[in-house]
Amino acid sequence: MKSGLMFVKLANPCSAGEGAIYLFNVCLQQLFEIKVFKEKHHSWFINQSVQSEGQLHFATPMDPLFLVLHYLKKADKEGKFQPLDQVVVDDMFPNCTLLLKFPELEKFLHHVTEEKEIDSKKYYKYSKEKTLKWLEKKVGQTAAALKASHVPVGARVQSAAFVPGDQASGDKEEDYICYAHGLISEYLPKELSDDLAKYLKLPEPLTSLSNPPSKKIKLSDEPVEAKEDYTKFNSKDLKMEKKNNKMTAAQKALAKVDKRGMKSIDAFFGAKHKKKA
Amino acid sequence: MDSGDAAAAERQRVHVRPATLRRAAPATLHLLPCAVPRNRPAPVSRFFTPAVRRGPDGLEVSFRGRRLRGEEVEVPPGLVGYVMATEEDGEVLTGPEGKQHFLEGSEKDEEEEEPLERDFDRFIGATASFSRFTLWGLETVPGPDAKVRGALTWPSLAAAIHAQVPQDGD
Repeated sequence: MKSGLMFVKLANPCSAGEGAIYLFNVCLQQLFEIKVFKEKHHSWFINQSVQSEGQLHFATPMDPLFLVLHYLKKADKEGKFQPLDQVVVDDMFPNCTLLLKFPELEKFLHHVTEEKEIDSKKYYKYSKEKTLKWLEKKVGQTAAALKASHVPVGARVQSAAFVPGDQASGDKEEDYICYAHGLISEYLPKELSDDLAKYLKLPEPLTSLSNPPSKKIKLSDEPVEAKEDYTKFNSKDLKMEKKNNKMTAAQKALAKVDKRGMKSIDAFFGAKHKKKA
Repeated sequence: MDSGDAAAAERQRVHVRPATLRRAAPATLHLLPCAVPRNRPAPVSRFFTPAVRRGPDGLEVSFRGRRLRGEEVEVPPGLVGYVMATEEDGEVLTGPEGKQHFLEGSEKDEEEEEPLERDFDRFIGATASFSRFTLWGLETVPGPDAKVRGALTWPSLAAAIHAQVPQDGD
């Protein structure tokens, strides 16, 4: 019996050298990522047994474009149009060719690529401009979902003592955008995340200069919050003036940001979900 | 583990036995606020379950002489919980996974140039299912800022992050 439902390890788009587990449903053309809730000092009772690590795995839908983007960016160094099956190749994670089994994917590639059709075969080339526009929309829809589900996002939610009474009631638009940028960045190479921050006119966190976020990927049992200190920012990112004539609502909201925090997906989970070797 | 094994692990696929998802019997799950170091059978229904009481503020029980307070927590809407075990070593994964996606279309056969299942692949199956579990805290019910509760809000957010962006004119 062929179900086409399987777990495979693929390159994590955020840190290319490392793998992450994904769930493919090849027949139904669906991709899921696997996230794990893991906190110290938890165990399960499952019927009449003990399961010592109190982990909870989540399979949630994943946009395959994030995974393909990683390969498109890599291929872009050659600077030419290429068919997709020459772009999505990986010695380290050979299962990446499963991504090519999603014909649906081709419909969405135009969000991040320029394409040419020669003799009814399609050729693609990574487009940074289109990708940033696409990511801006992703950030927008994520910010809207954060708002709808009342996730507290403000950098100062915890420090009510410093907040004037009228602000304590709600988070601001720009807080949602910063938080959403942090979430989306978990699916992007660092460089693209930085470009997106500039494109959205987010303040650049000081900590990223001395402590590159790639380090965040390192396994650790420490609570993730301890590593995140985005409370200090510099504000030297105002060299994008020329784009000011066409600002979106999201950009306008961000233009007046002074200091806000971006959050990562780890805020939802106990720790990184890598298994012990 | 030598590097050959590691390379094989990257190539490997772990196939889900779809029939096990359909026939998985409901299980009773408790998430304890302490680490019990070994995986093994335990007479939960002899010692733990009969001691659970419904008090004025939630469930109460004691484990190793410590008082626990708990509450039933639902699996987020649109999802179902499965207890999974890989076929050779009996390792168990626990987690809710998208219900509707798994219960359809598994019989669709298609001819392919490369088979999805290869000799060196492994298999995993559901041994049980759940739609809720009991979350326990030491002395008090875990509060709204407990990590588990945060994790349970993740699926709704993930849906927004990974939804296709709408088409537009520019």
